[in-house]
Amino acid sequence: MEDIIICRCQEVTRQEILDAIADGATTVDGVKRRTRAGMGLCQGKTCERLVAKIIAEQTGRPMAEILPPKSRIPVRPVKIGMIGGAEDE
Amino acid sequence: MSKDADIIVIGGGIIGSSVTWHLSKLGKKVLQIEREDLTRGAAGATDGVVGYHTKKPGAQMELAVQSIAMFEHLGEELGEDIEYGLRCGGMQPVEDQLQWDILSEIVEEQRKSGVDIRMISIEEAREIEPMLAPDLKGALYSPTGGKVNPIKLTMAFAKAAKRNGAEILTETEVTDLIMDGKTVKGVKTTKGDFYADAVVNACGAWAANIGKMAGLDIPIQPRKGQLIVTEPTGPFMDVTLQCARYNVVKFRPEAVTDQEALKMGNSLSIEQTENGGLIIGGTREFVGFDRENTLEAIETILRRAVRFFPALKDVCFIRCFAGLRPYTPDGLPLIGKVNGLEGFYMAAGHEGDGIALSPITGKLLAEQIVYGKESYSLKDFDPNRFALMKE
Repeated sequence: MEDIIICRCQEVTRQEILDAIADGATTVDGVKRRTRAGMGLCQGKTCERLVAKIIAEQTGRPMAEILPPKSRIPVRPVKIGMIGGAEDE
Repeated sequence: MSKDADIIVIGGGIIGSSVTWHLSKLGKKVLQIEREDLTRGAAGATDGVVGYHTKKPGAQMELAVQSIAMFEHLGEELGEDIEYGLRCGGMQPVEDQLQWDILSEIVEEQRKSGVDIRMISIEEAREIEPMLAPDLKGALYSPTGGKVNPIKLTMAFAKAAKRNGAEILTETEVTDLIMDGKTVKGVKTTKGDFYADAVVNACGAWAANIGKMAGLDIPIQPRKGQLIVTEPTGPFMDVTLQCARYNVVKFRPEAVTDQEALKMGNSLSIEQTENGGLIIGGTREFVGFDRENTLEAIETILRRAVRFFPALKDVCFIRCFAGLRPYTPDGLPLIGKVNGLEGFYMAAGHEGDGIALSPITGKLLAEQIVYGKESYSLKDFDPNRFALMKE
């Protein structure tokens, strides 16, 4: 059970997330900075709620109180050429 | 009053964590206090350049030489993987004759510190980094120097410090200093009062706020840097690379004529991390404590990325982020005791050099606090070079 993958993009296991919480992480962002969970291609779209749920269960706090990480540009992967392409294409 | 620690370090970033570890190594009981979480500030929103080529000639370069030497065995000493890419080198491609002339001058100054840095032709540069655009003029190249994972390094400092007995309180905000006349006795926080013999202000861009509590006017301002991270790709590049404008913006801002560059201080800074993603920066903007990304900045950064590495146009970017660097008027950090206040030390103001200078900053400040004298002089970084006391 502890070796199941929670963040598929970065291959982070449930055990690694438990270790991060033991190390002091209390938010999804805190887990992310300690394990890379949510730093991959999907930017946490899949694992964010799973991570929040593990934090809630470990800390005894309600899910609603577990802070989500900050959303940033872009919403999904975008080719660099779309924005930084040569001249005004 | 019984004390809670020998020394309290305020700030959970790269500098505070290095100071905490070094103090704990010298046998001190340290309490590190962080308002949010470790690496929530600039340490978690940056790239990991540990190079010589971006350092200001003179005192800062000399300190970088000391610091980079420490990186060689830092991971082993900390007992953690910090993803230190040893001797990946650093490069700064040049677009025109003016940049070539300015960088040649800076290189001459930088070489005085005994570092291997030189100007090379674009042909030679492309032998080292084949993805570079062929129509560039040449490059500044430094074959030594490396790159590190700044989040892992900060966490590693903290973990090693905890193993030495340091205590780290996160989600704890310092609301005031406890003063007895001109002596700092401790801190008031959202989780109670804590007493110690000395307090270190390692709050980076926020250092001036702590200074105010002690009646100090610390000339550190937040300067926003925006960055972009790409999807992991195969091996793309080895060096940490900044376009020539990076050093021109940093050391000769008067030579910049591009209006966009003047406003955002934007220049290309790019490196590939161990997991394959590229980190692309960046800007240097004075916009207070704002940490948002702007489409305007992302567009100019990506345009420059494609200018130097045309193949990047087909790589996806997956996230943007921004961090606040602690800017000082002379580009040098403030490290050491504040005159006229007992028990109050500064370790902040490294702007974009905090990662590279973190090991030496922690080591020397810890020595100054514990032994009263550091093994390598900090005089050029003495906080008292600024008029700190408010009258």
